[in-house]
Amino acid sequence: MLRIVEKSTLPRALRLAVVIRGLRTLGVAVVAGTCLCAGAIAAPPKGGAANLAMIGEPQTLDPMSSTADLVGTIMQHVYELLYTYDANSNVVPMLAESMPAVSRDGLVYTIPLRKGVKFHNGKEMTSADVVASLQRWMDMAPRGKAVAKEIKSLEAKGPNTIVITLNRPYAPLVAHLALSNGFAAIMAKDSIATPLTQFIGTGPYMFKERRPDQYVQLVRFDGYSARSEPASGYGGKREALLDELRFIPVPNANTRVEGALSGQYHFADVLPVESYARLESAANVKPVLTAPFGFPYLVLNTKQGPLANVALRRAVQASLSNADMLGAGFGDPKFYSADANHYAKNTPFYSTAGTESYGKGDAKRAAAMVAAAKYDGAPIKILTSQQYDFHYRMALVMAENLKAAGFKVDMQVVDWSTLIQRRNDPALWDIYITHSAVLPEPTLTPPQLGDGAPGWWSSPAKDAALAAFNAEADPKKRAALWGNVQAVVFAEVPYIRVGNFNSVTARAAKLDGYVAMPWPFFWNTGLQK
Amino acid sequence: MSATDAATQAPPAPTRRRAASVIWRKLFGRRVVLVGALMLAIVAVAALFAPWLTPYDPTALRILDRLQSPRGAHWFGTDELGRDVFSRVIFGARYSLMIGALVVAISVTCGALLGLAAGYFRKLDGPIMRVVDALMSFPDILLAIALVAVLGASMTNVIIALSIVYTPRVARVVRASTLVVRELLFIEAAQALGVSTWRILLLHILPNIASPILVQATFIFAYAVLAEAGLSFLGVGVPPALPTWGTMIASGQQFAHQAIWLVVFPGFAIILSALSLQMVGDGLRDLLDPKLRKTL
Amino acid sequence: MAIVMLIVATLVFFITRLAPGDPAAVMLGEQATAADIATLRASYGLDKPLPVQFAYWLGELARGNLGQSIFLQRPVTQALAERAEPTFFLTLFALGIAMLIGVPLGIVAAVWRGRWVDQAFSGFAMLGASVPSFWLGLILMQIFAVGLGWFPVAGYGDPGVPLADRLRHLVLPAIVLGVVNSALILRFTRASMLDVLGEDHIRTARAKGVTERRVVLHHALRNALIPVVTVLGLTFALLIGGAIVTETVFGLPGIGNLVVSAVLRRDYPVIQGALLVIAGLYVLINLLIDLLYLAIDPRVKY
Repeated sequence: MLRIVEKSTLPRALRLAVVIRGLRTLGVAVVAGTCLCAGAIAAPPKGGAANLAMIGEPQTLDPMSSTADLVGTIMQHVYELLYTYDANSNVVPMLAESMPAVSRDGLVYTIPLRKGVKFHNGKEMTSADVVASLQRWMDMAPRGKAVAKEIKSLEAKGPNTIVITLNRPYAPLVAHLALSNGFAAIMAKDSIATPLTQFIGTGPYMFKERRPDQYVQLVRFDGYSARSEPASGYGGKREALLDELRFIPVPNANTRVEGALSGQYHFADVLPVESYARLESAANVKPVLTAPFGFPYLVLNTKQGPLANVALRRAVQASLSNADMLGAGFGDPKFYSADANHYAKNTPFYSTAGTESYGKGDAKRAAAMVAAAKYDGAPIKILTSQQYDFHYRMALVMAENLKAAGFKVDMQVVDWSTLIQRRNDPALWDIYITHSAVLPEPTLTPPQLGDGAPGWWSSPAKDAALAAFNAEADPKKRAALWGNVQAVVFAEVPYIRVGNFNSVTARAAKLDGYVAMPWPFFWNTGLQK
Repeated sequence: MSATDAATQAPPAPTRRRAASVIWRKLFGRRVVLVGALMLAIVAVAALFAPWLTPYDPTALRILDRLQSPRGAHWFGTDELGRDVFSRVIFGARYSLMIGALVVAISVTCGALLGLAAGYFRKLDGPIMRVVDALMSFPDILLAIALVAVLGASMTNVIIALSIVYTPRVARVVRASTLVVRELLFIEAAQALGVSTWRILLLHILPNIASPILVQATFIFAYAVLAEAGLSFLGVGVPPALPTWGTMIASGQQFAHQAIWLVVFPGFAIILSALSLQMVGDGLRDLLDPKLRKTL
Repeated sequence: MAIVMLIVATLVFFITRLAPGDPAAVMLGEQATAADIATLRASYGLDKPLPVQFAYWLGELARGNLGQSIFLQRPVTQALAERAEPTFFLTLFALGIAMLIGVPLGIVAAVWRGRWVDQAFSGFAMLGASVPSFWLGLILMQIFAVGLGWFPVAGYGDPGVPLADRLRHLVLPAIVLGVVNSALILRFTRASMLDVLGEDHIRTARAKGVTERRVVLHHALRNALIPVVTVLGLTFALLIGGAIVTETVFGLPGIGNLVVSAVLRRDYPVIQGALLVIAGLYVLINLLIDLLYLAIDPRVKY
């Protein structure tokens, strides 16, 4: 058994431990997280169609309007960004020709665009398309709206350059433009509408058909203009080898596992960790472990209901046993780690500030805090879904923890899309459970670090800490400034970051060239005959 | 005075009592009914004495003991959170049977009132029965799903929704029987003697149509247990935190391959209770009114 | 008939309008302002009094317009039409299987009334009616799809595959649905057969020395099967109800699956439309069966 675990000196936030077992059974070599071994391998074959079992039906195909992973995962094949991340979580250019030229005061970003890039409708991408797309993103996308506050002007300078002028220095700008989640997709200007009815991007795949609850079908875009750099992470050269991608909603995790094992699906997303051993022993399937993949977090309603009281939010934080929740959610410690610090030890944003408040399930102390906060017995409405089974299992442990501390609990298990709707109404919930991919730039996630996200956290301490962090462009100073933000999160408890988890996905052994990234993509991936 | 009573009360009390004891003996003389009643008794005892019968707290989480196969201390194994499946199945009887019983109580009460009204008052017959027909043109589970969707998923709303679903069935049976009884001589006599309509309906007609209602109630009980499980399985029933048999299967299904016991045992419990109720109902029907065989 | 359908429509309208939540707010999503919502409410006529809305809705209904799905962003009629195929074939196959099981077993049980076969088959019927279809589906899926690999685990085939490939996905679900719903047909066949076997012309035939086999197959069977036709309407309702659950278990993109998803997504126009169409079908099928019965049984006069 051969196991290659990538060790990288670069930030660990997006680093993937890719476990490869391909050589053992079929003698098929597989590209790991980076292109370390790319030279030794023949290119994967071209042609064929891949069935990709996803966790559900996307609530929209508009890549800007939703921060759901599923929407971004599918639409990153259709739409591209100005920038993206390579395997080592560096920002690299995609539709931009190169990294932006930033004025000395940090206020003016000049971004050169690639020439000759074709949209799916055959027209060439110009600065007009880019400005219109970014404008739409700033008007309607949750992430874009937050960024829009920092932006003074956005304009085209000739057909192949855009210029963004900021109100004040804002270091995370490029990171935002590079993230393929609720993303600043570049769309053909004449296709832009709300709601979006045509999906005209520049990506290696074109949208063909959506049959709700059956599939979203993408087909190869033959006019795709690839970059010349070697592929790395989401960046570099992209080539559509498969003729067709079918994203199939399979909400039942067990069905995804069985379907992958029976060969019906070539890829199965977000699988229960219990299935790992079975996937490992099957000859036609490879389990893929992505670590750390993401973090579950609980959002607390700071606007309305009992938890608008910060003292009760602290009591909730103290009552929770994060380790038990992770255990319930992910089973074997191989699949999770109970880290209090938001970023891992050898990464730039590592800090222990505030971590003494990380919940260890101290019911007695929490009960005292509940009593001191004059809790009136109003039930804590927990919103969770079973679409991600670990959410629900963690919610069960959380409910027990809260009850032990003297809280009344009203657990509401709803469909995931219902949860996404309901969380926008502060009257309907006190805590909801979700998770996020681990992202390379701290302010990108969770959205509660921005303004207006559910939970509606806003406080002078938050504004001060984040303003200082965002204004600082020097990486060394930013680390310490991030520590201050983390301390405020522990003190005001707008959300609780439970810990980190690794993801299990499965791919068919014959799905060749697949590179594990948090948002799975299928360019540069082919099917062995 | 006594003459009046004798004229209006038919069949006379002594005969009725004797008939009852004959029915009782005949009923349990049938093997099917006896076996069904015994099975039902087992489920009922489990539901009533759940806290004393269960070796574990059905909600206590023991993450380290998760997904253990049935052996040793855990007769039915443990679930994905280390909870004892045997204890949960026993406690599940409580919720599942309670929901079934309440649905029967509500739908029989409402259905009997509507059916009596439709069968006795000619003017009400048309309107009531058209609405009953309309409600019965939805498949049971579909109407229940829609109602729960509107009311919101909770145990109370599942009970309300299923009661609305089964009320028309009772109403139809009660109306049909009322139409027959209404024409009988002793009712005409009571009407002639000026006995109040309420008295006639409740004291004279209702007791004489009790057997079809009883039979129907038994079947509705079985259907309600099955329907609740179905709704909970689909995620539109009682919240998953309550251990009903339906929610247990729903949460156990994704471990079906490595822990089939999570699906098997709650399923057996559903089958056991639905089967026992149908066996008893079948026996009752054959015995009380052989003519009903076809209409039910 | 027409009156019942009108009541059905009224029930559907008012039941779904009692639902909490503003469909306009649901439609516009997270970023909607109060003004946007008010505009959309006005454009859908949601600001008008309920009776006015009801009249408008009935008018649209008469023109075959069931409204627009909130989640799927397409007309409800289109959404239902797209999902009709798997549900149609599933119920058809299940009905076939239920009849293949129910009719012969019912005849055998009637002929050997009171013997062990009768008791065994009646017991089977009762057991069948007590097994939750989703449970049987899960168990059979584990055994035949996951364990033995004879059938696909879930879904309805890849886009563009021939019909035969798609229908292969229906084998297990149809067996589940057919077995569970064969009980009613079995009982009805048995009862009807018993009635006929007690009739005068059968007794005459027997007295004339016709063999028992001939009596059953030639004289009794045809007359006994006529009333069985009437049970098909009820079986259809059971099958549609069962299809909702079975489709969900097997991930079939049929109407049942659509209804369940619509409930979970609070997509009220779809729930409304599906309720109406299914209830309408039920009423229609029962009407057809009455007519059929009239045509094949000369004794019945309306």
